[in-house]
Amino acid sequence: MNTRSRRSILAGLPASIGLAGLALSACGGSEGSSAAPAAGGAPAAGAAPKGAPVKIGASVSTTGSNGKTGQYQVEAYQLWAEQINTRGGLLGRPVEMVILDDQSDPTVGTKLYEKLINEDKVDLVLGPYSSGVTQAVSTVTEKYKYPLLSAGASASDIWKRNYKYVFGVYSVAESYFYGVIDLAKKSGYQTIAIVNEDTVFPKATAAGTAEYARKQGMRIVFQEQYPTKVTDLSSLITKVKAAKPEVLVGGSYQPDSVLLTRQAKELDLNVKMLGFSVGAAMPEFGEGLGKDADFVFGPSMWEPSLKTKGNTEFFDTYKKKWNREPDYHSATGFAGGQILEAAVGKAKSLDREKIREALATLEIETVLPGKYKVDDTGTQTAHIPVVIQWQGKDKPVIGPDSMANGKPKLPMPEWKARA
Amino acid sequence: MVTYLQVIISGLLLGGVYALLAGGLTLIFGVMRVINLAHGEFLMLGAYASYYLFMRLGLNPIVSLLLTLPLMFLIGWVAQRFLVTRVVRAPLLTSLLLTYGVSLALTGGAQALFTNDFRSVPFMSGAVNVGELALSIPRLVACGIALVLTAAAQYFLVRTRWGKALRATSQSADVALACGIDIDRARTLAFAIAVALAGAAGTLTSFLYTVYPEMGRTFMLKAFAVIVLGGMGSFPGAFLGALALGVIESTAGYLTTTQVAEAVIYVTLLGMLLLRPQGFFGLKEA
Repeated sequence: MNTRSRRSILAGLPASIGLAGLALSACGGSEGSSAAPAAGGAPAAGAAPKGAPVKIGASVSTTGSNGKTGQYQVEAYQLWAEQINTRGGLLGRPVEMVILDDQSDPTVGTKLYEKLINEDKVDLVLGPYSSGVTQAVSTVTEKYKYPLLSAGASASDIWKRNYKYVFGVYSVAESYFYGVIDLAKKSGYQTIAIVNEDTVFPKATAAGTAEYARKQGMRIVFQEQYPTKVTDLSSLITKVKAAKPEVLVGGSYQPDSVLLTRQAKELDLNVKMLGFSVGAAMPEFGEGLGKDADFVFGPSMWEPSLKTKGNTEFFDTYKKKWNREPDYHSATGFAGGQILEAAVGKAKSLDREKIREALATLEIETVLPGKYKVDDTGTQTAHIPVVIQWQGKDKPVIGPDSMANGKPKLPMPEWKARA
Repeated sequence: MVTYLQVIISGLLLGGVYALLAGGLTLIFGVMRVINLAHGEFLMLGAYASYYLFMRLGLNPIVSLLLTLPLMFLIGWVAQRFLVTRVVRAPLLTSLLLTYGVSLALTGGAQALFTNDFRSVPFMSGAVNVGELALSIPRLVACGIALVLTAAAQYFLVRTRWGKALRATSQSADVALACGIDIDRARTLAFAIAVALAGAAGTLTSFLYTVYPEMGRTFMLKAFAVIVLGGMGSFPGAFLGALALGVIESTAGYLTTTQVAEAVIYVTLLGMLLLRPQGFFGLKEA
């Protein structure tokens, strides 16, 4: 930071204004925090864990653009660690989480996993949040042969590099909108516009959506990307409007899905179906948009209403511990812990090679819908994503049929016709 | 044709909000030769003030301006009295470091106090249609308020005694001092006004964008581009620069992509620095 500022001074005054501005985009050091095992709590089942703690490291974005989403994952990791310690620990030893913050920056993430492995000497690791960070971090864990459960990432590129130590927890990004496209098709809509942020996960989501839409015989009338941290999308929306699609989906995170919905209304862009990845499944989407959130579809990897194994207990204990409801990013984080626990149980040791073997062959139920099961590349194949739709204050699951607890409302009325 | 008009209008509406932020930044630079790197964080504080006033008290952000403007003015006054005044005559690096430190402290403080949640104020949305044009209601209102505040600040600078003192201090602090102007007070006033304007920009962005602790940085980059365009130290220049930047951003976004538009902004900035470093109306010596 200092050197940058200094250099900018030397560059002369007018230039220094510009450069100093640019220097703002780089930010300072990292914050560390670690959750000690819940000591002193009476074990509910099994003997109290004994011996040296098993250190499990993870770096998750808890600040920066994905800080909000990453926080859910961290809370889930900590809840899992607390629970495993009350039921006897991992191989009889207490679990100690070492959790760092990568500030939503893949470069910082790689440094922190190096630190976790080399300096903190953690026994095992759990995955970071976002596909971009996970993709970068997996090069580090692969190098040190640490099995990595990607509890917060889904871009399929992660599993296209012949890596041996990275395992998917939930469906790949490419398949996020399959359910939405199926519904669009069933409702007779022919045209779709796809927009996305230009980072790893949203790109993968958009690419998969485009391919699937084409396969289903839909026509892609507009497709474009926008940069991360964008503050204005009016020119993009103007172009979408000119293309007159029936369906608009965004490969997006939280802030951009709110911005897209807002500006769609402000520029009076009317579509019959509107869907966003990540953002739309989060409670904050409804809080930030109020009634304007209604009718928006979103893929979700988990919902509180699903009847999966241990889901009610997970929901209740999470809410009690963190004083807020979990979202799907909490559930994928928690599932990551559950899968790691099962793999260590199967390997019966902390030998990372044996755990890798176990992860490659394991087939178990977690709080997520479907199962955990990976193919040869480590790609998740048995998880089943669901589709939700905002309807008033609720967001019922409207598909797939086997898990639905609500009916889709179509088409989305024109903005002018809404209160 | 209508589409181009739509794009240009969107750009102008965007520029109105940039103007509020950049106006204060350039005012501080003009009067003190201090580049306030914490300016974006004052916008963030204004945005949070409005967010909480809306969520807790149900206060409409436009009404909450009546509270946030004086509050931010006060914060600016205090910041100048206790911090910035110490570095006004110091080398530029000192003031850069100080304001950058303030920026980090405010961002960090906001992360601790308000958490990293992305928040938005569900207030005012939708469009008015004029023929085939859709005009965003919240952006029209925000731009209108920005215009009124900028005009008021400009009136103050040009027509009032204290405004004259500010401009005199800006032109030459020593001569102003020799003429009996209390330049310390003039500087404090300039800083407080600038922070109040940044806070107002924050209020307006609270219902246009997402509110989060690091939001100031994104806007700061735009504000720097604006004052390079408009000319450092020139208040009307910042206004025109902001509108120009808004239009450049939206037109480039329409003709190419939003990603390219971001690059176009900084290429424009660099081009301006090369060809006309003083901007449209900048101070010749800086």
